[in-house]
This record gives sequence, C-alpha cells and structure tokens, in this order.
Amino acid sequence: MNEHIVRSYEDELNSLAAECVRMGGLTEAQVADAVSGVVKRNQELAASVVVRDDKLDEAERDIERKTIRLIALRQPVADDLRRAVAAMKVANNLERCGDLAKNIAKRTLVIIESDPLTPLTRSIERMGKLVLGRLSSVIDAYSRSDLERALAVWSQDDEVDEHYNSLFRELLTYMMGDPRTITACAHMLFVAKNLERIGDHATNIAEIVHYEITGAEMIGGRPKTDALKA
Amino acid sequence: MPASQLYATLIDALPDPILVVAGFERDDLTGRRYILANAAGRELLRITAEEGMLLSAVRDPDVLGAVDKALFDEVDAEGVYETTGAQTRSLRVRARWLGFGGDGARLALLTFHDETEVRRVERTRVDFLANASHELRTPLASLSGFIETLRGHAKDDPTAREKFLGIMQAQADRMARLIADLTSLSRIELDEHVPPRGVVDLGLLVGEVVEAAAPLGAQRRVKLDWRPCAAQSAFVRGERDQIVQVVQNLLDNAIKYSPDGAAVRIEMQSGINDLTAAASYEPMPRLSLVAPDPSGETYAVLRVTDLGPGIARQNLPRLSERFYRVDGQKTGARSGTGLGLAIVKHIMNRHRGGLVVASAEGEGSTFIAYFPMANVPAGVVKAS
Ligand SMILES: Nc1ncnc2c1ncn2[C@@H]1O[C@H](COP(=O)(O)OP(=O)(O)OP(=O)(O)O)[C@@H](O)[C@H]1O
Ligand SMILES: [Mg+2]
Repeated sequence: MNEHIVRSYEDELNSLAAECVRMGGLTEAQVADAVSGVVKRNQELAASVVVRDDKLDEAERDIERKTIRLIALRQPVADDLRRAVAAMKVANNLERCGDLAKNIAKRTLVIIESDPLTPLTRSIERMGKLVLGRLSSVIDAYSRSDLERALAVWSQDDEVDEHYNSLFRELLTYMMGDPRTITACAHMLFVAKNLERIGDHATNIAEIVHYEITGAEMIGGRPKTDALKA
Repeated sequence: MPASQLYATLIDALPDPILVVAGFERDDLTGRRYILANAAGRELLRITAEEGMLLSAVRDPDVLGAVDKALFDEVDAEGVYETTGAQTRSLRVRARWLGFGGDGARLALLTFHDETEVRRVERTRVDFLANASHELRTPLASLSGFIETLRGHAKDDPTAREKFLGIMQAQADRMARLIADLTSLSRIELDEHVPPRGVVDLGLLVGEVVEAAAPLGAQRRVKLDWRPCAAQSAFVRGERDQIVQVVQNLLDNAIKYSPDGAAVRIEMQSGINDLTAAASYEPMPRLSLVAPDPSGETYAVLRVTDLGPGIARQNLPRLSERFYRVDGQKTGARSGTGLGLAIVKHIMNRHRGGLVVASAEGEGSTFIAYFPMANVPAGVVKAS
C-alpha cells in the first residue's frame, strides 16, 4: 500500500473516534440540561432537550454508517478493528443516554405542573451530578485512551445505586405522607431510574474502552450491591 | 529577551485561559486543532501539550459551535462552558475570527472568562437568607410563645418561670449556634474555589483536637482511642482553622452518637493513594460524600470510628445535606443544627480532599477524611 492510502485509513479511524467524542459532548450537554431542567423547574430548557435529541440520533446513524463502510472497505484487523467496533458501540450507548435524557425532560414538563418537592429535587440534583461526572469521566477515558480512568469509572459503579435506593425510600415516604404528590413523585421516580440507567451506560462505555485498549473483556461481575435486599 | 519570546511568555502568563484554534474545512473534524494554549488554558482543559486535536481538549457543543462560527462564518461568537468534576466552574467563552495562517488554515481565538465567583456570591446570599429565615422561624415562634405564657398565667408561678426561662435560654443558644454555623458555611462556600494556602501537620493537629475533646468525652463517658500514624509527620496542604473544624465536627459526632462507656477510635495513615485512602476496613456499606478528581496525588487520611447506632444505608447519601438529621432530632443530648457535615463537606472539597462514610445500622460508623499531602523539604520536617 502506498503512503497516501495508509494515512487516510488512519485518518478515517481518527475521525470516527473524534465524531464519537463530539457526540459525547452533545450527550453530556443533554443530560446536564435535562437534570438542570427538572431541578430548576425550567420548562424552556426541558423542551429544548426534547427537540435536540434528534441530533444525537443522527450522529449515531452517521457513526454506524461510517463504521460499517470502513469495516467493509478496509477490512481492519486486530487493534484497528477493535477501534472501529468500539466507536460504534460507544455511539450506541451515547444514543441510549440521549433517549433517557429526553425522557427526563418530557417528565419534567409534567412535574412542573405540580407543587415543588424541594428536598427530593436536591437528591435528584446530587444524583445527577454524580451520574454526569461518571459520564464525563468515561468520555475523557475514551477520548484519551486512558485505561486507568475507565477502570475507576467501572469500579465505582455501585455509588449511583446507593443514591437511587436512597431516593426511592425518600419518594415512598413522600407519597405516603401526602397522596396529592403521587403523580409528581412517580415521575420523579422514573427520572431517578433514568439517571441510574445513564450511569449503567457509563459503565458499559468503560467496558468498551477496556476492550478497545486491551482486547480483553472485563472479567468478574460488576460491584453491584442491592440495598433493598440488605 | 527577543520580542517573539516576550510575546510567548506574556501569553503564557495571562491569567485567563486562551486557545488559538486552526481549521480547514467545516466537515473535517480532526482537522480542527488548537495550535496554542497558554498555561491557564492547559490547566482548565487538562491538556499537557501546547498543540493537539481540538476535540481532545473541548467537546462542549456550545464552545464547538462558537468556534465554528468564528472559523467558518468569520464572525465573533459567545458561549458558556461549565466544567464537571468536584469543582464545577462556569466560564464565558468568546470566539473571534483571526484570519488565515501561513499554511492557509483558518484561525480563531478562543478566550475563557471565569464567572463562577459572580454566580456563587449571588447563590450563597440567596441560600443564606432562605436558610436563616426558615430555620429561625421555629425557635423564634417558641420564644414568643413562652414570653406570652410568662406574661399571662405563669406570671406568678416561680417554678414554671424557672423552667420556661431554661427552655428559652436553650432556644436562644440554639439560634446563636445556628447563625454562627450558617455564617461559617457561607464563608467556606464563597472560598470553595480558592485553593487553601498553608501547610499543616495533620498528625499534630489531630492530636491537639483529640486532647481538647477529652473533657467532652469524659462528660459523656466515651474513651478517645487516638492512634497516631507510624510515620513521624503527615504534612498536608490546607488551612489550619478549617482542618480543625473538620476534625472537631467528626469527633463531635462520634462522641455524641457513642453509647456510654464505648470507645471512639481515631486513626491516621499517610503517603497513600486516593483509592487506599477512601477504603474502609469494615465490611459495611460505604459512600463517598466528596471525591477529589483523579490526580495521582498522595494523601494523608484520618478515620474516626464509633460504636454508635450507625446510619441506615438509605440515609447515607443525604448526610452532608444542610439541616439534614437522620431522625430529625432537634433537642436533647443529641441535638444539633445539622450543619456540621455540610461544613465538613465544603471544606474537604475546597481542600481537594475526600470524605467517605462507612456505616451500618447497629454497628457504628466510620468517617474518613483525606487530604492531599504537601511536599515538604526534609529540613522543615525536622524543625517542627
Ligand atoms: N457518628 C455518627 N453516628 C450516627 N449518626 C451520625 C453520626 N454522624 C452524623 N450522624 C447523623 O448525621 C446527621 C448530620 O450530622 P451533622 O454533624 O451534619 O449534624 P448534627 O451533628 O446533627 O448537628 P451539628 O453538627 O450541626 O451540631 C446527624 O444528625 C446524625 O443523624
Ligand atoms: Mg455534628
């Protein structure tokens, strides 16, 4: 192969990764705005999250198409193949995060109609910050091929669960205390559940980064604990 | 110094983060590169090179959008950049079209201006007012209630009067403590982004606080089991008064929640990484309330363990919330304002340290606070 083709093949792989990182930035913004929307009861912000979700869907389709094309035309092997597959999988997880953010935003539009649930909102804010931190950290890890950072995200998987379980109890207390809050609380519960699932996608991406760099799947189960059973 | 070197030094020394971005085609993502980043810019975006792919430094859509406008529409644009992590900052970003570079690349200047303080001051003031008025309302109402009773049918009843005056005194004390704590919290919050100056020998400091807490321990019949660390000294970066506040609050809680005759264990360890520092020995649910951004620092850690009632798992995430008290107790031997751990949290965050709680109902609690260590020349260690 001549110099030119070799370079542009490398370029193609690099730009695939770059597109994933850009999509990551977009996803972070969507999640951040979704959380901010529900915490600050900002209808406009929530509505804008719903509208912007299309961009993420489009970005995913684009990355998928380019990956498939690259695999078909260049037939990459070993490291290169892993990079291509990783890009597609990362994009896939990011798109799911986007859907969850959009769902949070849609629920926000309903939650805003009832009275504020101040202490609960604070718990959601805390959980949102934690999840966003994990997402951001794992996209950093992907962008910089930083195995250590990916492992750190992976091993702290259970913290989000603790927050979710705590919020779950708090919500139950609320609903039992004042049945008028049940509708808003039920939506809040799904908001929390969605955040937890975004956290799970961050863990998935950590696993993808691990696979991309080392070629090995992660061994051993996730450090999950279920507080509700304890 | 030749002029070109002077300019380079000057740009590097500017306090606001600055980047120069180059790009060729709109759809060439990897072709957008930063070709210059001053020291503040490298620190903000956590990059080490002075040149690299733009996306490896920023991926915020707002910022990327502003860059594209400047590069390809040749107009100035603005955006807001928020950092994630333990210390969130909010910056105004301005992108300005510069023209073409020697190699035909389009160039744009990206400047960041920190607006965190402005927003913080505003929020702190709002929070302080809301908290103060909300929390003072109840004791104030009860004070007026007692005054009314004392003026009315308890007027000529000396026993009732004594009793009521006692309660009123307690309420007034509580209000005073509340205001002191809130003021302290607001101050700490305002300074949260100012890195602490000074170096403190954590071992020495903890020893002093433990000694000072001895009378309180004796009064509650709680033994203080202080185990200094094996290494002679553990110097950490931080502000002495605030670290004292951390140790005091943790110790105060441990004593307060210890059963009669039990011991509170205070341990230290130094020269370890963040993961080891945040680990707890007991197989209990644990949660980090403050976690430093990963940095490869070495830490000194303090662990305070009590054999008290412990904290149920579902309550752990709320511990450092203002005014949060597990069973809402506001009076009696275990009374408090519920601001202690909120204060500790903000101090630990400011110190780029970590705070972890490990606890199980009926089995006691361990609070772990760890601070980044300072590099102290050998001579200084001996001197102190
Ligand atoms: N060592 C401990 N054991 C059991 N519960 C604890 C312990 N430390 C803190 N808690 C729980 O966490 C709550 C918050 O603690 P925090 O120190 O913030 O407030 P406080 O001690 O109630 O009041 P303050 O410190 O402001 O006087 C406490 O009310 C208590 O319920
Ligand atoms: Mg306390």
